[in-house]
Amino acid sequence: MKQFLIFTVKTLVLLFLLLVVLDFMYTTVYLQASNRGKIDYVYNSKPRIYDVVILGSSRANNHFVTQLFQEKGLKTFNYGMSGGHLFETSLLLKLMVERNYTIKNIIIETDLNLSNEHRAEGIASKFLPYIHDSNLVKEHFSGEKDFWQLYYIPFYRYIGFDAQIGFREMFFNFIHKKTAHLQNSGYAALEVGKKGNMKNDIRALKPIHNKYYEEIKQICANNNINLIAVMTPICSNTKGLDYFEKANKIYPEIHNYENVVQGDHYFSSCGHMNDAGARLFTATIIKDFFSLTKPLQRKSGQ
Amino acid sequence: MFFNSFSFAIFLPIVFLLYWFVFNKTKSTQNAVLIIASYYFYSCWDWRFLFLLVFSTFLDYYTGIMIEKAKTELGRKFWFWLSISVNLGFLGIFKYYNFFADSFSQLLNGFGLQTSPLLLNVILPVGISFYTFHGLSYVIDIYLKRIKAEFNFVDYSLFVSYFPLLVAGPIERATHLLPQVKVKRSFDFQKAKEGIFQFVWGLVKKVVIADTCATYANAIFDNYESMNSLSLMLGAVYFAFQIYGDFSGYSDMALGMSKLFGIDLLRNFNYPYFSRDIAEFWRRWHISLSSWFRDYLYIPLGGSSGGTAMKVRNTFIIFLVSGFWHGANWTFIAWGFINALYFLPLLLLKKNRSNMETVVLYWDFASVRVFLNILSTFALTCLAWIFFRAKTIEEAFNYIKRMFSDGRFVSQYMENERYNYELLVMVAVFVVVEWNSRTHIEPISGKYSWLKLGLCLAAIVALGTYSDYKEFIYFQF
Repeated sequence: MKQFLIFTVKTLVLLFLLLVVLDFMYTTVYLQASNRGKIDYVYNSKPRIYDVVILGSSRANNHFVTQLFQEKGLKTFNYGMSGGHLFETSLLLKLMVERNYTIKNIIIETDLNLSNEHRAEGIASKFLPYIHDSNLVKEHFSGEKDFWQLYYIPFYRYIGFDAQIGFREMFFNFIHKKTAHLQNSGYAALEVGKKGNMKNDIRALKPIHNKYYEEIKQICANNNINLIAVMTPICSNTKGLDYFEKANKIYPEIHNYENVVQGDHYFSSCGHMNDAGARLFTATIIKDFFSLTKPLQRKSGQ
Repeated sequence: MFFNSFSFAIFLPIVFLLYWFVFNKTKSTQNAVLIIASYYFYSCWDWRFLFLLVFSTFLDYYTGIMIEKAKTELGRKFWFWLSISVNLGFLGIFKYYNFFADSFSQLLNGFGLQTSPLLLNVILPVGISFYTFHGLSYVIDIYLKRIKAEFNFVDYSLFVSYFPLLVAGPIERATHLLPQVKVKRSFDFQKAKEGIFQFVWGLVKKVVIADTCATYANAIFDNYESMNSLSLMLGAVYFAFQIYGDFSGYSDMALGMSKLFGIDLLRNFNYPYFSRDIAEFWRRWHISLSSWFRDYLYIPLGGSSGGTAMKVRNTFIIFLVSGFWHGANWTFIAWGFINALYFLPLLLLKKNRSNMETVVLYWDFASVRVFLNILSTFALTCLAWIFFRAKTIEEAFNYIKRMFSDGRFVSQYMENERYNYELLVMVAVFVVVEWNSRTHIEPISGKYSWLKLGLCLAAIVALGTYSDYKEFIYFQF
């Protein structure tokens, strides 16, 4: 039995060493990456200068056509992340500020994502390779219930989120394989004519006083960034459209564009406009806020 | 509580410590620890079905004794058939009732009689097919006077409920397991070490091979209508490795952890994908079930001893029943039927026992033929697996039709945001490792075992699929 206990201890030590070595290798690779997604593109970057930065979920990523801003002479990048919540948006903005980005305007999509303060696993996990390298990332995750495991158990985060930051993703980072996420200055166009589900039911969603939105407002105020918060269009066949009014009651400064694009032919699915709808919407935003050289403060609650 | 879960990683060491350090004085205390652990393990799945397990155990224990004690042949028959009918009755109600009710209703509807079947809203108790078969083999063996009835209820309960084999086998025999639980086990370092190696290798098969293949196989099978020929072929191959890795991985974990308690379980898999014909495949795949059907169904039906018609009949019966054992769906029956069709020519030509020894390849022409036999057997197996995996028979036929008619053999980006070919390297490496270790239980022991153990542990943590968690396929059976 003594032999077996020694054997078991040796096996556990071997496992622990493997976890430490693998953790080091994966983290090293992620610290060199900058062309796979928007998070590593920011994390491993030098200071950048933008006239307009777009933040939010897929309803920002698919709805703000950066090319139209650029045609106006506005240096713009769409940092909207499909599936993301305000938890990740806030952290991404903190990282931009830490890297001394100069940003004049931020357009943030704040609508359905106001309804929760949870992290979006698929997106939040992409920050985890940097949890030991960055105090900001560590602090941001410190309130999470699995923080102890994520921070102290070597390689735990790469096992727990293997689909996002596991071997496959690490390997693609290692060989510098590019993705489409950074093309078109971050804007992801949805195909015209492709029809998804044109019904939506958001009655279960309740807008809340969101601490991450508050954080974002505070960061913008501290860094002299003009924050433009908007609610983006959704298809008319949506149950619970009063959500947007409720959100406006909590945050009157958010501009409500929920119904500015009408017609299913402008939508790829109920919550996401196609490229044609996105262009129409972006044109409206540019007209309302950037028709003069200096961005306008539009009257809230339109 | 899955073998590859965090809770099991806590459970197993606790049981191990209690078994060897606290309650190690007698065989009775050892058995008591294992039986309590087994009932706790089972209750973690669904405590309500614990009563079913205990009832089934008690029924077979009692009827076994009564068969042995019966003074008349009529009495023996009475207790025997009571046990058989109650066991099969439970299995029938929980596993097959809805299937029969639905199929009968559809049949009547086909004749123009509109009926709606009375379906039961029941959950399939985990492991019912396995522990029912344990009990059946025990009672049949007593009835046929192959063994004596077991009078110690704890020992018998452990035979039925021993947690490594409780929910997905291997299907043990009283002649093999009961003698082991009747004696006090002493700790054997070499056996325990082999057990750890086998457990680790089982984990590799499950989380690295099976669960990763499942991600791709699911993406292909669930969207087969938009897949090209290459994707559909790869889908069948990935599923073949998924089900092999899943089930043989589970079996390896069960056998490995059982060795930690000094108990050997029946081997369930013996590198089936290196078989040179279907008969050999069935001697190497789910061995404990195949041999169960051989001993308790095929041979009592006459086996291969009668005329050609009887052989053919028995072959179809055993394969159809084997398919049906897997689940209450026509797809499993079709899978059994196809395997019977594969097996039939070998039986009729008396070639079903021509490949008994371990396959060896040399650099000569004969080996090319052997290699082609292995490939063709694997291809036939994959084709049959399509029926096993498909939701309906129609879907399986459509899958195969599209596979042979689409004609595009190019890479394809799938719904799971992966390319269809991405897993081929991993599968190829796995095949090479399995080939090199085909004369052993697992590939870790032997020379450089620490290096191989390290590689396996690294593969488990770095290459395993965890976030898209897959249950063990055979738990549903």
